[in-house]
Amino acid sequence: MTKRQTRAFFLGSTAVFTLIFLGLTIDSHRQFPALTHSDQITPEVLAGKHVWHRKNCINCHTLLGEGAYYAPDLTKIAEQRGAPYLRAFLADPAKFYSEERDRRLMPNLKLSPQEIDQLVAFLTWVGGIDTHGWPPRPILVSGAAIPGSDVGAPAPEPASDDPVAIGQALFRRSPPGCFACHSTAPGVNLVGPSLAGIPATAEARIKAPEYHGKATDAAGYIRESIVDPNAHVLAGPTYSSNGQSMMPSGFGESLQPAQIDALVAYLMTLK
Amino acid sequence: MRYRTQAVAYPYFVVALLLYGLQMVFGILSIAKYLGPDPIKGFLPFDVSKEIHTNVLIVWVLTGFMGATYWLVPEESRTEIHSPRLAYWQLGLWTLGGVTAVVGYLLGWTEGNKLLEQPLPVKLTIVVVMLMFLYNIGMTIWKVKRLTTTEGVLVAGLALTAVLYLPALVSYHNYTVSIYYRWWTVHLWVEGVWEMVQGGLLAYLLIRLSGADREVMEKWLYVIVGLTFIAGILGTAHHYYWIGVPHYWLPLGGFFSALEPLAFLAMAVYAYMAMRRSGLAHPNRLAIHWTLGSAIFSALGAGVLGLAHTWPSVNRWTHGTMITAMHGHMAFFGAYVMIVLAMITYAAPGLFGHDQDAGESPTGIWAFWLQIGGMFGMTMAFAAAGISQTYLERILGLGYLDTQRKIQVHFLMVLGTGLLFVLGVGLYLYDFFFLAPKRRAAPAAWPAAAAEAQG
Repeated sequence: MTKRQTRAFFLGSTAVFTLIFLGLTIDSHRQFPALTHSDQITPEVLAGKHVWHRKNCINCHTLLGEGAYYAPDLTKIAEQRGAPYLRAFLADPAKFYSEERDRRLMPNLKLSPQEIDQLVAFLTWVGGIDTHGWPPRPILVSGAAIPGSDVGAPAPEPASDDPVAIGQALFRRSPPGCFACHSTAPGVNLVGPSLAGIPATAEARIKAPEYHGKATDAAGYIRESIVDPNAHVLAGPTYSSNGQSMMPSGFGESLQPAQIDALVAYLMTLK
Repeated sequence: MRYRTQAVAYPYFVVALLLYGLQMVFGILSIAKYLGPDPIKGFLPFDVSKEIHTNVLIVWVLTGFMGATYWLVPEESRTEIHSPRLAYWQLGLWTLGGVTAVVGYLLGWTEGNKLLEQPLPVKLTIVVVMLMFLYNIGMTIWKVKRLTTTEGVLVAGLALTAVLYLPALVSYHNYTVSIYYRWWTVHLWVEGVWEMVQGGLLAYLLIRLSGADREVMEKWLYVIVGLTFIAGILGTAHHYYWIGVPHYWLPLGGFFSALEPLAFLAMAVYAYMAMRRSGLAHPNRLAIHWTLGSAIFSALGAGVLGLAHTWPSVNRWTHGTMITAMHGHMAFFGAYVMIVLAMITYAAPGLFGHDQDAGESPTGIWAFWLQIGGMFGMTMAFAAAGISQTYLERILGLGYLDTQRKIQVHFLMVLGTGLLFVLGVGLYLYDFFFLAPKRRAAPAAWPAAAAEAQG
C-alpha cells in the first residue's frame, strides 16, 4: 500500500460515511414530529425548556438518560409523580428529602409558581417522547419497586386470566406505575401510603365521620381512590397539599374499566 | 527549538497547565459532594462544580492543542509563525473568554446545555479565537507552501473542530433535535476530529522520538484517521438510542460504534511498531512515557471501556449511570490529556532554552505514574459504582437515592484515588514551573548543543 492509496482510503471512506450520515439526518427530521409529538410543544412547554436550561438542571439530573449523575433521571417523572406532587416538591425540596439521610439535597431553586407549571409542562412533554422503551424499568427516585421478598422477579406479566393476577401485574407495570408511589409491604410508606392491609383500612375510613365520599364498602373506596383521588384526601407532606391529593388524577380515563376492576380485585387481596 | 517563534507555544502551555490545576480543584469538590452532606451547596452547588470541571477540561485541552500546533507547524513547514503578535492576542482573548465563563458559571450565568453551557457571547468569542488561530496557522503554511501530512491532519482536525462548533450556536425548539445536534459537536469532536489531532501529534512525536521513517508513519496515519471516521461518524448514533430518533439508529449505532476501538487499537499498534522498529533512543524519556502512555491508555479508556457499554442491549441498562463516568474519565485522559502532556514534555527543554536536556527528572516520572495510577484507580472505582448502580437501580428497581447510599464506598474510592491523581498533577506543574526552567544548561554550552541538535 502506498501513501497515495491510504490517503484515497481516508478521503473516500470519510466522504461516503458523511453522506450516509447526512442522508439519515434528513430522514430523521422527517420522523421527528411523530416520534416527539412536536405538535404538543406549546409555548408553555418551550418556556419550561427555558427554565430547564437556565437553572442548569442537566448538570445534576439526567433527562432521556443524558446529563449528570448526581440526581435521578427525570424522563418519566411527570407520569410517575403527577403535577400536584411536583409543584409541592419544587416549591421546597427540603420538605420531601433529608440531606442527613440521602447525603445530598436539591437546592431550593426559588421558582415562581408559573415557572414550576412551565417546567412540569416541559417534563410532561418529554415523558411522551418515543424512547424505544427506555428506561426498560421505571427509575425510581427513592423507595423500591418491589419492596419485600420478590426482589429480582421477572418483568410483570399476568400469570393467569384471574382478575387478581391481572391486577397484580398491572400494579407493577408502568404505566400506571402504582408501585412507584405505593409499597405493598407493611409500614413501607413511600411517597404514597403503603397499601398493605388496604381493605381493612378502607373499611375503617368510610365509617369515620370525616369521610364525605360516595363509597359504601372497601372495594368501592379503593375504586373511588383510583378514579377520583380527591374524593377523600389523606393528610401528609407527600400525600396532599391544600386539600388536593398528590396522586395523579386521570386513571379513570387512561385505564380500561376491566383494568380498574382488576386493580381493585388485587388490592382487595392485601389483607 | 529550531525556530524562534516556536516560543509562542510557551504561554499557551502555561495557561493550559494552570487550568489543568483548576480543573482538579473542581473535580475533587464534585466527588466530595457525592459523599455529602454538602455544607457549601448554598453558593457552590454540584451543578456548578461539575460544569466548571468539564468546561475547564475542554478549554485547557484546546489551549494545549493550539500551543502544540504553534510548536509543531514551524518545524513541519520549516518557517516562522506568520504573526506571533496575533497568537498572543488570540491567547489573551481566549483566556478572557475562559475566565468570563468560569466566573459566569459561579454566578449562575449558563445555558444549561451539557458541555455546551457557554453563554452566547462566550461562544462567539470562541469562534473569533478559532478564526484568528486558523488564519495565523493557515498563513504560516501558505507563505511557504509546504504542508506535511502530519501537520495537515492536525490542522484539518482543528479546522473541523471549529466547523463542528457551529451547530452549538443555534437554539432548537425541539429538545430531541437539540440533543441530536449537540452530539455533532461533542461526539464528532472527541470521537472524530480530535482523533485527527491526537493522530497528528502522535505521528509527530513518534517521528521525533523514535526516528521512525516519515513516509511509513504518514501512510499509516491516513489509515488511522480513515478508520476513525468509518466508525466514528455513524458511531454518533450510540448517543441517539433513547432520545426519540428512528429505530434504525440502534443497530447502526451498535455496529459502527463497536468498530470505534479499531482506530484506537491501531494507534497503540502504530506507536508500538514505531518504537520496536526504530528504538527508544531519544534522551527525553519522559516524553516517550507520555506518548506511549497516550496510545495505550486511549486504546483502553476510549476503545475497550467505550465498547463495554456501546451495544444497545447493554446500553439500555447502563445509559445514564456511573458507567459513563468510568469510560469518560479514562478516555479523555488517555486520548487528549496525555497527548497534550506528551507535547508539553517534549517541547519543554527547547522552550527553556536547553534542547539537550533529557527532560527527565524523578519528579516528572512520579508525576507520570501517580496520574496513571490515580486515573486507573478512579476508573475502577467508577466501574464498581456503575455496575452496582446498574444492578440495584436499573435491574432490581431500588430507588435512585437508596442506591446512591449503598454505593458510597465506591465514591470514597474515587476520592482516594482522585487525590493520588491530583498529587501527580501537582508534581507535573511543580516540575514544569519550578524544576524544568532550572535544568537549563550553562549558557555558554547550549547554543553549540542546539546547533548540533539542528544538524
